[in-house]
Amino acid sequence: MPAADDSKRKAARETIDILHEISTLLNTHLDRQSLSYCVSLIENGVNPEALAKVIQELRAQNERYEVERAGAAA
Amino acid sequence: MASTREERVDNALQQLLERLVPQYADEDEATADQRWDEANEVARELIDRDPEPSVAEDVNHAADLIKRRLIRESSSPEKATVFSNLYSRLLAQPVLGQKWAILYFLHQLGDGGHANGHGRTITNAQEASLEDEPLDDDGEEVDGVAQRQYDVDTPAFNEAFSRNGLPRLPRSDGLDNPKPPPARDRPTAGRPKQTQREETPGTEEQDQRSNGRMEPSEAALLRDLPFTLQGLSSTNLPFLDKSSLKLPPALPIPLISLLYTLAEPSLLYRSLSEFVESSEGGLVGQSLRSAIGLELRSYLGLVATLEGQIRRALAQNDGLSHGGLGKAGVTLKRCVIWTRDATLGLRLMSMLVESAKGKKGGELISLVHSFATSHGDPFVHTFAERLLASITRPFYNMLRAWIYDGELEDPYLEFFVYENTEYEDSGATSVWEHKYMLKESMIPTIITEDFANRVFLIGKSLNFIRYGCGDSAWVESYSKDASRELKYGDTATLSTSIDEAYKTVMARLISLLETKFALFSHLHALKKYLLLGQGDFIFLLMESLASNLDRPANSQYRHTLTAQLEHAIRNSNAQYDSADVLRRLDARMLELSHGEIGWDVFTLEYRVDSPLDVIVTPWASKQYLKVFNFLWRVKRVEFALSTTWRRLQTGARGVLGAVSDKLGRDWKSARGGLAEMVHFVDQLQYYILFEVIEAGWEGLQKDIRKPDATLDTLILAHTSYLRAITRKGLLGGGGGIDFTAQLHELLKLMLAYRDAVDSLYSYSVAEFTRRQEMAAKIETRTKAGRWGITEADDDAAPSPLFPSSSKGRPRTDEGLADSPIPPLLPMDGGAEGERNMLEQLRQRLKSLETDFRARVNILLGDLAYQPDVDMRFLGVVMNFNDVYQPVKRRRQHKGGEKDKAAVTGRKEEKAKADEARA
Repeated sequence: MPAADDSKRKAARETIDILHEISTLLNTHLDRQSLSYCVSLIENGVNPEALAKVIQELRAQNERYEVERAGAAA
Repeated sequence: MASTREERVDNALQQLLERLVPQYADEDEATADQRWDEANEVARELIDRDPEPSVAEDVNHAADLIKRRLIRESSSPEKATVFSNLYSRLLAQPVLGQKWAILYFLHQLGDGGHANGHGRTITNAQEASLEDEPLDDDGEEVDGVAQRQYDVDTPAFNEAFSRNGLPRLPRSDGLDNPKPPPARDRPTAGRPKQTQREETPGTEEQDQRSNGRMEPSEAALLRDLPFTLQGLSSTNLPFLDKSSLKLPPALPIPLISLLYTLAEPSLLYRSLSEFVESSEGGLVGQSLRSAIGLELRSYLGLVATLEGQIRRALAQNDGLSHGGLGKAGVTLKRCVIWTRDATLGLRLMSMLVESAKGKKGGELISLVHSFATSHGDPFVHTFAERLLASITRPFYNMLRAWIYDGELEDPYLEFFVYENTEYEDSGATSVWEHKYMLKESMIPTIITEDFANRVFLIGKSLNFIRYGCGDSAWVESYSKDASRELKYGDTATLSTSIDEAYKTVMARLISLLETKFALFSHLHALKKYLLLGQGDFIFLLMESLASNLDRPANSQYRHTLTAQLEHAIRNSNAQYDSADVLRRLDARMLELSHGEIGWDVFTLEYRVDSPLDVIVTPWASKQYLKVFNFLWRVKRVEFALSTTWRRLQTGARGVLGAVSDKLGRDWKSARGGLAEMVHFVDQLQYYILFEVIEAGWEGLQKDIRKPDATLDTLILAHTSYLRAITRKGLLGGGGGIDFTAQLHELLKLMLAYRDAVDSLYSYSVAEFTRRQEMAAKIETRTKAGRWGITEADDDAAPSPLFPSSSKGRPRTDEGLADSPIPPLLPMDGGAEGERNMLEQLRQRLKSLETDFRARVNILLGDLAYQPDVDMRFLGVVMNFNDVYQPVKRRRQHKGGEKDKAAVTGRKEEKAKADEARA
């Protein structure tokens, strides 16, 4: 039903909003899109701790690359 | 559905990664792809590895976590309120199924983001990469969290174990932000090993209830605790080597400190149990080991109770909510408190063990005793007392054996009496003195010095009685009667029993010596024979030996001497002495050298065997011989002079009266000189025999009779007795003045004088005979009617001493040839010779007299300045009528000037002495 869909979508959007606010409160540096991806991952059964670790690791990796690049450029 | 789920997961992951992995403009494909691949790998790995989350799925819990963090992070509560609103709205939403997971995820990420803001690198040297835990957020660079090993060795150990806990925390795991504690317990069934850190980073305990989300959990630690306390390795707390325990890393700090505290008794127990197993050292060391083993066993009992408690608590709490374990009453902190006393005891024991290394016996006991007495803490005191009671048992056993049996049972040389195995086996003397010695370092402080001395004496005496006196029967019976158990703490009975034992043993020893070995009678016999106490015997002996001993030394035979000795004994009062005594008396010849006569080599001897030679030591025997020799000489001179005197006196009535016109003056002076010498010798003898020897003897007797005489005092008394005799008897070297030489010179002089007088006598007799013959001749001639005396007679009358070849005049031989003095006269005949001879005789006599007088003066001078009263007395007595003038000897020349002051001084002294004596 489109109404149901709509309501669902609306609910989802609201949820995402709420979650986004929460994540902002918690300072997680996640944007909405990433957050929604994460939410879907978690809903699909991924371990939240692992996921959090993944994100942290990737971020760290990125920083390393940044540093390298900065070093190479300089 | 799984596949679609998988697909969905994949898709979502890809998307996420796209967003996360930034595209760098100036990067080439290869590196970009590389990065992409890496990221992919990492992500997949992570997700695949841990399908299960590690905490319970409680949305409330997650929300709480977040809320708390928010409250902590910001000072104002508005964030928290906002969150609460959001949270409630979220809950209202029907959309999400895994709300808790999302919240939890956000929570984790929030942390991570916060931490990541400081640019942490993940270079973990030791582990696979994503294992560590960004705990450090105080700005310091962390080199990853290494496997921490807590080497608990002594100095850091001790610092850590100060009573107030850790004074400073180890640096590397400093976590400054306390995080809200996940107060949730979880069964540890499927727990991976502690090397993997799975726990959500940054959680640690905050409050006193120490459970929850940490690795390993408190329950695990508690389960391992009984093993650890016994020094056994366990899963979470392995022992690396003898003295270090590895604590699991990354535990929160309070927990680490608790584990420190709990590690202390474990390590102590380990080292102590090792000590108990080892087996060096002596008996006391072994008893120390067993005492410590007992203590350790009670410690193990404590551990067992603890284990029971823990197990019960854990069994109760499996599956309970958080805080259950704490409520059941067993937490690590509680364990710390329960083991505190035991830890103190263990600490004390290990300190003891450390300082006891290498000590044994009495030193060890002193060590423990010092703990008991000089430590203020009553706990230490009681502990040390307990230990002492068991440690001193072997010591008291040894003591008992020593006191009651005189036997030393000391396999490890721990007693303070030790046997000196290098003494020379020369009779009972060294057995007494040297067989056992006291080693003062081994005297434990539980007994005093005096006590130790007494114990030493008792044991020595017992041993001596048993071996030296051969009286083991008494020793056995005594030990059976009196032996009783000694133990520590019983000082009153100990001292009384020691006193009793001492008295009994000493009394027994003295009585043994007196009765069985007749010590007293032997000493008396020594005095009688060697010190010339038995006058009649000595006189007889001298009489019978006199002619014998005048002959040269190498013509003396032992059997003649012994025969004379027997004769003397039988005919004097000495025959009434006991056979034992007489058996020991012997006449002997000393070593002879050339030119000596019998007088010089003759000596009496008294044999003393053990055990009496403890008192009459070889030195003592030598002293006796010396004194005997001296006295014998004096006696000989006296004897010689008195025989001459006798002859003179009897001859004076007859022969000498007839020649008194010619020789009267000579005889008068000779008599005077002889009288002087006789006086001198008499005084000397009197002095020695009565003043010195008898007085010393009295003192010795008194010492022997004292009620608390011990063998040592006896020995001492006897030695001082002999020493006094030698010193006062002018034999010792008193202050560098050698009386002995002077006296010997004097005696020689006297003998020479006597010989001179003898020759004078023979001369007189010869003269008398001559006159007689002359008178007879005159008579016969007168009867024949011729002249009585013609000139021819005068000329033809040679000296009666020199028989002319023509006239066979009878020649009296009065021992002229025997005189040791250089020949008086040259053998030229005639009246000339005769007159010469007389002159020479006269001169000789006179010179001898003056010499004698001079020497006596010197002697008297020396005597007057002796410190000893008795010797001064001798000087006074000899010179009671001041006939001599004593000379104080000056260094430069002998026989120096006369000391008038000394003389006057001595006059007064003499007057006083006379008054005193009168």
